[in-house]
Amino acid sequence: MDISTGSYLSAKNITKYFGKSLVLDDVSMDIKSGDVVSIIGPSGAGKSTFLRCMNLLETPTSGEIEIGDFRITIGLGNSEPSTKELAILRRNVGMVFQSFNLFPHLTVLENVSLGQRKVLGRSKEEARAKSLQILERVGLSEKVDVYPGRCSGGQQQRVAIARSLAMDPKVMLFDEPTSALDPEVGAEILAVMRELANDGMTMMVVTHEMSFAREVGDAVYVMVDGRIVEHGEPHKIMSEPTHERTQKFLSAVLGR
Amino acid sequence: MFLIILQGLAWTIAITIVSFSFGAVLGIFIVAGRLSRFALIRAISRIAIELIRNVPPLVWLFIVYFGVAELGPKLSPFAAAIVTFSVIASVYLGEIYRGGYASLPKGQLEAAKSIGLNRANIALRIVIPQVFRTVSPSMVTYAIGLMKDSALASTIGVVEMTFRANQITQTTGQGLTAFTIVGLIYLLISLPLGAWARHVDQRVRERYVVI
Repeated sequence: MDISTGSYLSAKNITKYFGKSLVLDDVSMDIKSGDVVSIIGPSGAGKSTFLRCMNLLETPTSGEIEIGDFRITIGLGNSEPSTKELAILRRNVGMVFQSFNLFPHLTVLENVSLGQRKVLGRSKEEARAKSLQILERVGLSEKVDVYPGRCSGGQQQRVAIARSLAMDPKVMLFDEPTSALDPEVGAEILAVMRELANDGMTMMVVTHEMSFAREVGDAVYVMVDGRIVEHGEPHKIMSEPTHERTQKFLSAVLGR
Repeated sequence: MFLIILQGLAWTIAITIVSFSFGAVLGIFIVAGRLSRFALIRAISRIAIELIRNVPPLVWLFIVYFGVAELGPKLSPFAAAIVTFSVIASVYLGEIYRGGYASLPKGQLEAAKSIGLNRANIALRIVIPQVFRTVSPSMVTYAIGLMKDSALASTIGVVEMTFRANQITQTTGQGLTAFTIVGLIYLLISLPLGAWARHVDQRVRERYVVI
């Protein structure tokens, strides 16, 4: 099953408990096709957990995830998503991690090709052609046949982006993709992400890069203590935050 | 004399290779049981592992050889040795596999899931190749240990190398020569294997370590 192209991703009433502690409290979010949404907020607010719920790496305690016309409801009577639901969701949603998570025993090309071969059923040649094209797009043509261990952090993250892109996702999730990198290298990754955004990729980005959130995003969501306290147009949120907690957070990270 | 000992070597190698192979495959079930989703299976595996590891191999060998004969069909000495050493090997190799799995960064599994790979492909393409590479030096080390332990099979009458040396000693009285030769043969097999294991370990580290 595929999903229609005018698709969007939405989360409805996502609640998540770790044991007895409530980490996500009735979080809802909506992204239109081609939109870039940034999620900001203090550490421990549940941003990453929420993002991980979007491709069900983390199973919410209850809530609903919708991508295009395809809906997965988790809650009473359905505490675990089915294998089929997971497959459809993950085929359409890509994810980039803070710690890259490349497969160290596979070359860069193999990292990017594996999913195409085994999930999308592309032939070796098709997968290779696609991988080369995407690796060129992220500026890694010369690293095709090396192992991730021989790549710098920035290069590894670009491979990770390529690996995800190669699956032709409808939506890409970014979980603090620059947090493990030097600022200079992080800027490189942000440039790749900006390009993706310009090309119309639908993106949900958990980030501490306020300039990215302000300049690239179509919307900013502020998450504090497992709740969305405020959301809206980036410039507005950044310059005139209305919620007291947002003001405090922004003044801390922006130093004003 | 040398020729007789070499005949024994064939049996020593046979016990080692056959038991190691069975153990390597059974070990997968041991580790699967140990990491099972079901608490009962985990408990059973755990008990089996402790039971097998904490009784001397010689005692197990006697239990299998003499004990089984009491209960039903008599196993040949060779079969009894294979059964005993395979089961023991499966437990140790299973624990070696488990260590390898534990050292696998779990972020990779998440990345694999996020690109939509199913469980079979994650096991086959991501987990097993990497676990195998990290544990292969330990497996070789275990194989050396197993070869040395296989000398115990002489006690139930498997005509392997140590048995032959004992036989020679009984008949000719040249125990020192016979056992020195046997010792040297064990050494000549163990040392290169050990060196090879260290070499593989080194190569794996250099090639796959992630900065």
